[in-house]
Amino acid sequence: MAEIYKLIHPVKYFNDYLSRKIRPDGRAFHEQRNIKLNVNSIKAADASAVVKCGNTTVVCGIKLELATPKAEEPDVGFLVTNVELPPLCSSKYRPGPPTDSAQVTSTLVADIIANSKCIDLKDLSIVHDKLAWVLYCDMVCIDNDGSLVDACIMTLMASLKTLTLPKVTYDPETEEISVDTSVRTKLNVNGLPVATSFALYKHEQSNIVLADPSSYEEEMCGGIGANLITCYNNGILCGSQKFGGCNLSIECEEEALKIAKERAQAVEEVVDVCIKNYELEINK
Amino acid sequence: MPLDYRRFNGPEDSVSYKRFTKGYLKSYDELYKESLDDKGVRKDGRALSEARSLFARTDMVSQAKGSSYVELRKTKVVCSVFDPREIPHQNEFSQLGQIFCEVKFAPFSCPRRRRPHVPDAEEKALSVALRKALEPTVCRHMFPNYQVDVFIYILENDGSCLSAAINAAGLALADAAVPMYDVITSCTVAIVGEKMFVDPTEAEENLATISPSTPINHGIITLSMLSELKQISDFTQVGSMDVECVVKAMDILDKECARLVPLMQKVLVANVLKCFETRKRLEEEANEKEQLLNAKMDEWKKLLKFT
Amino acid sequence: MGSDNTDLKDFKLRPMKCECNYLSKSDGSAILSQGQTVALVSVNGPLDIKMTNQSIEKATLEVLFSSKGGKPAIGDRYKEHVIRQTCETAILGSLYPRTGITVTIQEMEDYGGFLACCINCTCLALLNAGLSMRHTFAAVACAIDELGDIQLDPAPAQLAAARATMTFVFDSRNKTLVCGFTEGSFSEDAHSEALERCRSASQLVFDFYKDIVSKYSYVIG
Repeated sequence: MAEIYKLIHPVKYFNDYLSRKIRPDGRAFHEQRNIKLNVNSIKAADASAVVKCGNTTVVCGIKLELATPKAEEPDVGFLVTNVELPPLCSSKYRPGPPTDSAQVTSTLVADIIANSKCIDLKDLSIVHDKLAWVLYCDMVCIDNDGSLVDACIMTLMASLKTLTLPKVTYDPETEEISVDTSVRTKLNVNGLPVATSFALYKHEQSNIVLADPSSYEEEMCGGIGANLITCYNNGILCGSQKFGGCNLSIECEEEALKIAKERAQAVEEVVDVCIKNYELEINK
Repeated sequence: MPLDYRRFNGPEDSVSYKRFTKGYLKSYDELYKESLDDKGVRKDGRALSEARSLFARTDMVSQAKGSSYVELRKTKVVCSVFDPREIPHQNEFSQLGQIFCEVKFAPFSCPRRRRPHVPDAEEKALSVALRKALEPTVCRHMFPNYQVDVFIYILENDGSCLSAAINAAGLALADAAVPMYDVITSCTVAIVGEKMFVDPTEAEENLATISPSTPINHGIITLSMLSELKQISDFTQVGSMDVECVVKAMDILDKECARLVPLMQKVLVANVLKCFETRKRLEEEANEKEQLLNAKMDEWKKLLKFT
Repeated sequence: MGSDNTDLKDFKLRPMKCECNYLSKSDGSAILSQGQTVALVSVNGPLDIKMTNQSIEKATLEVLFSSKGGKPAIGDRYKEHVIRQTCETAILGSLYPRTGITVTIQEMEDYGGFLACCINCTCLALLNAGLSMRHTFAAVACAIDELGDIQLDPAPAQLAAARATMTFVFDSRNKTLVCGFTEGSFSEDAHSEALERCRSASQLVFDFYKDIVSKYSYVIG
């Protein structure tokens, strides 16, 4: 019965829930979904992580490669991040090249990582003008149920934090490269950017902020993806994007920033605990 | 190759660091010795005829109609199936429904190299093989002029990915309640000379495809079966081998496929039970609420009578 | 049609110049320069589109961005997304069901604050095309330098020295935030201060719109 009602009166269905101060999936407005994180489950990749925020599932794998740096920036390595939205993650996508929304998500994730300065690309340089690391980070969405950017950033950061670079020796005369995989150094990661998505909805003259929206809520709030994405790294804002949805008032923004800040700490804890457990396990 | 402007691209000349590690290039004999020791035990401790333990579950993707996840130790495959939809760009009426399959490797799925984003020949070949395997299994006459989309994503490839994909697709189709004739199961065998590696890993598959010049049997056979009906739905072979070898391999695969059937059935029954339980719970909750409402209604009616 | 040179030195926005109906074949067009940054926008619609893309509830908005070199890049999709989301809130799409509206943006010169210029130009082109809108919108860019000072509508030299750059889009009715995007890292206070500064500066842009439009049409209020 409820399903039919939802189909016939989609807006009224949604409003009915919101007027009773609850969301269709039973959460309170500011309540976030549970996070599950697992690192290094994919052995074929050099580092990997799987994250589940509610139903949203994203897998990130990093492949290491070597290349000559750009002539104009001889001391800088490469960090290539791409978000893949394969058709299996949602009925909205069809097979083929990345859709606009996948490209927008990729840009958002790359921007957040660049703005937070959590990775110094100079750390990826090996030999000046000759050799540098290339980190191919591919985030694959297995199940897209909203707040995609949050999950992508989380899995990417968890993988980067567990990534170790093997030792490379370079002979300048013969230009010979040899890699010793038994000696590995950890990649230096500065802080941990955490993104938090919100959907904004105007209901009877009042603006409602929905934290960690599901894909259904995102759709109802008229956005392709979330309406507001704020990102914290080390307690400093490193990105705040707002698109579409209802217009954002000052009170709503303050409310959102507060939630985002709290969430940043919670996520940091989750990632730290997960990585610690993983390290304990491999050291055994 | 034209530059992909829909993604971020790395430098053009990048190569995997594994290329520069010791022991990157190994001879055939070395590889053979690594895969199988003198006692006939494989690298991961299995006997030749022993398959890896299979983990399978349904209900993996919340947004899909039906979905599944299959794991053969390191090989990890996700599958989702969507509602039938009208066949796009088609003018004629087709009596039989169609199955659209797409197999995709994650860029980080293979231990040797990074997978390209654009579909390569192997992915296309796997997609076709999967479609061929599923077509005789699904009751296609039940949904004429419609197509069912089956998407496979291989998160990690450690051999036997086609059979893992077929197993996953079978489960996902059943989860999506697409009518089928029987439970479909599949298994792979890699043949190197006299030895038959059941459920091979990626290294063993590699060994079976590269062969020294001597004309010995080598190759990979994947078989998918409807075991209850005793029908073969697909047979894919790469490499060259003599007829006796194929017959012998078929015998092994037939038994392996039959062995998997109860496993699959168990997963599906668990899925159905779970569905029933949630439905029962929801119904009970709804009943409770209705009773509460009815009680209220009676109260109001009484009040009305008094006034 | 109209071209205007407003002296905005006091308010620290670079001078804006605009010409509407710059293109003869499109339903509405505008070319806008903010300092040396120039964008050209053409708007066509409501027009017929493919059945599959039609929506029975509102007009389908299509935004195409073309960079100066003409080569598509992944960043362009992001710009399109920003502009589409902004237009989507502003245009009364429900008045034009089953139709499409196409907005095409051509990059001419980028000397800082380019996306803000594109958004303002889009608004002028939409006004020029005569599409019904809930409100107009104005974008203001700003840069925060190492000392924490806020520079409105930054020039390339200021951008190079900036720690963070922000762009905000406001609506004309309540001056609430329609769209916003930032680059770089900054504190919350800097963010809210920049937001307020841009909010008050947006009035200049709205005044400019009024000036331009009043040259060829009757403006209420």
